[in-house]
Amino acid sequence: MKKFLRENSLGLAFGLLFLVVLIGEAVAGHADFNQRQLSEGLQPISFDRYVTSASFAVDVTENWQSEYLQFFLYIYLTVWLLQKGSPESKELHKPGRESDENQMVGAYATDTSPAWAGASGLRHALFSHSLGLVMGAIFLLSWLAQSITGVAAYNEQQLGKLEDPVSWGQYLLEPDFWNRTLQNWQSELLAVTSMVVLSIYLRQRGSSQSKPVGAAHAATGVEG
Amino acid sequence: MTGRGDAAAAVAVRMLTAITQQDGAGACAALAPDTAAELEQSADKPCVEAILDENLPAPGPVSASHVYGQWAQVRLSGDTVFLAVFPGGWRVVAAGCTARGDRPYDCLLQGG
Repeated sequence: MKKFLRENSLGLAFGLLFLVVLIGEAVAGHADFNQRQLSEGLQPISFDRYVTSASFAVDVTENWQSEYLQFFLYIYLTVWLLQKGSPESKELHKPGRESDENQMVGAYATDTSPAWAGASGLRHALFSHSLGLVMGAIFLLSWLAQSITGVAAYNEQQLGKLEDPVSWGQYLLEPDFWNRTLQNWQSELLAVTSMVVLSIYLRQRGSSQSKPVGAAHAATGVEG
Repeated sequence: MTGRGDAAAAVAVRMLTAITQQDGAGACAALAPDTAAELEQSADKPCVEAILDENLPAPGPVSASHVYGQWAQVRLSGDTVFLAVFPGGWRVVAAGCTARGDRPYDCLLQGG
């Protein structure tokens, strides 16, 4: 058990932090929602009602979609794009899909390779892109969920202002949808840009996301 | 219409019907607290009297009702009514409302 915890501590810690923060968001969001209800002369709602509401769902999914978009783009763009000196980049002579030998696929698969790495055809193609495909699919699904929950939350506000609700198609053209979307995209892209560039010159001793402290600034594709 | 939409429409029709029957108490019972208070303050009369002076239209057939979260909009022929959820169920926040394009509805009866 102790060994399992140590060998999986990264995933477990982030999973636990995710749950704690999600609960915190629900508690804070519930309080915020009810403050607005009371200020408008309306009734506060229960916690159960809030966590199943469109208001909570759109606040959650608008962040999810941008995170998965970030990883999807990062996974695909780092196949081709390089950053000299960054541990986030591949070495400068390796842009592109690389050779089968380098990727340990087909005839170069080893005994410990996943079964589909040694397969051919569709299974090989799917497994070779599975990380990006799954991230991209979760991005699209969470963005769709944002639009569906977003239109319901937006329409609740519309009725509260004594205005007409809009259809899902109309909502996709509303500033509310694009403001929620783009404010998340810009922050994710800034964070990635910062990581790519700052990791050229700065170090975090012992971190897999940093070059070794003594590595040259020009050293590329080297992780600690 | 959904179950919640039906319930909201029933409250809107009940309030408008009470007014046509000169039942001020019945109509005020269907109002949201802030809407009743606003009506009393602006008319300087008790709600049960003031609501009968508001010239709200008689209830026509319900053509649509939309429910989102804590709010509902009920469209009747000749009137649009906005309702919100309170402990006793749906209550009328605004009635006698006329659309004004992209601006909020103009309502004869409306909460503060």
